[in-house]
Amino acid sequence: MIKEVMDNNFNEEINAGNMPVVVDFWAPWCGPCKMLGPVLEELEREYEGRVKFIKVNVDNNPIVSQKFRIASIPTVMVFKNGEVKDQIIGFRPKDAMKEFIEKHI
Amino acid sequence: MADRYDIAIVGSGPAGISAAINAKIRNKNIIIFGSKNLSAKLYKAPKINNYLGFPEISGEILKKEFEKHLDKMNINITYERINAVYSMGDYFTLMVNEKVYESTALILATGVEYTKSIKGEEEFLGKGVGYCATCDAPLYKGKIVTIIGYNNEGEEDANYVSELASKTYYLPMYKGEYKLKEKIELLNGKPIEIKGNNFVSKLILNNREIETDGIFILKDSVPPGQLVPGLLIENSHIKVNRNMETNIKGCYAAGDCVGRPYQYMKAAGEGQVAALNAVAYIDSLKKL
Repeated sequence: MIKEVMDNNFNEEINAGNMPVVVDFWAPWCGPCKMLGPVLEELEREYEGRVKFIKVNVDNNPIVSQKFRIASIPTVMVFKNGEVKDQIIGFRPKDAMKEFIEKHI
Repeated sequence: MADRYDIAIVGSGPAGISAAINAKIRNKNIIIFGSKNLSAKLYKAPKINNYLGFPEISGEILKKEFEKHLDKMNINITYERINAVYSMGDYFTLMVNEKVYESTALILATGVEYTKSIKGEEEFLGKGVGYCATCDAPLYKGKIVTIIGYNNEGEEDANYVSELASKTYYLPMYKGEYKLKEKIELLNGKPIEIKGNNFVSKLILNNREIETDGIFILKDSVPPGQLVPGLLIENSHIKVNRNMETNIKGCYAAGDCVGRPYQYMKAAGEGQVAALNAVAYIDSLKKL
């Protein structure tokens, strides 16, 4: 299960040593987010030990959402050593999401 | 759980109809989405001289012939507009607002979008520009939002957005009576350019400039790359091979949406190829 992260622990969670951290910005009212959720859950299992996955509900976490100027969801960001390395906006099929993540492993 | 169709066909022009007929002949459980006119372009064509077997036929009559054919084959068109299709791996989820359909294979026959994009539209997509107001409106709580509506469905979205945004502008790209809430400011003019630094800050019209945080562009039809996230587009057409396969497994495309020439017979032929390959794809899954 992908860990739900909040405004107050976001900064700790995006640091995972050398491991890339994939952050899913989502909200319960967003249809494409609901579709992407299970795709990312599957990928979390496939990349266990190699990639860290977390999610942020933009409704409940305005500080982080505003800091990264989330203007459309789902937005998926990849962090490395606490910094944004890459992002994609909108749903992607599993293969495309894999390709996106694998660039950063 | 929604029933899962073998093949879902999006579009009821010549490509979509031809796909539907051929898939039905192969005894597949299909659903075809489209409009009562079948295709606005077909319906409006004054005279067609290059559709084999029907010299000098009018678009209106050819449309009636297509309808007779569909009736004979017991194919009913579902008059609903697909907002988005998600590739879930071994099946597709098709969304019509809150309603969901599922299919094993998908054939896109959406035609071509004649609405040209606004300068800056692609650059700022996801950075203030969006195509689904109801999806992203909550992110613009207390901000300024402009909605560019290409049909009257945009009015409903504008009314919804105005409940959240601090200020809502509505720019209609069609003529009519606008049923808008009082607090929405109606614009008239032509959109010229979307400007900003990293994010949208302005919409330039031919007659004025609007400061805005977000711009929703609500077109008659969603471009295929937005309709099916992850779909590979090349030179504004869906990329397919000779089997009409796209880059997504189980997803086929046919007709004007895959490229020129924009002709009825080409569309119908491609619809047929797409359907037969979709049938083969489904049969290959069943053997596993």
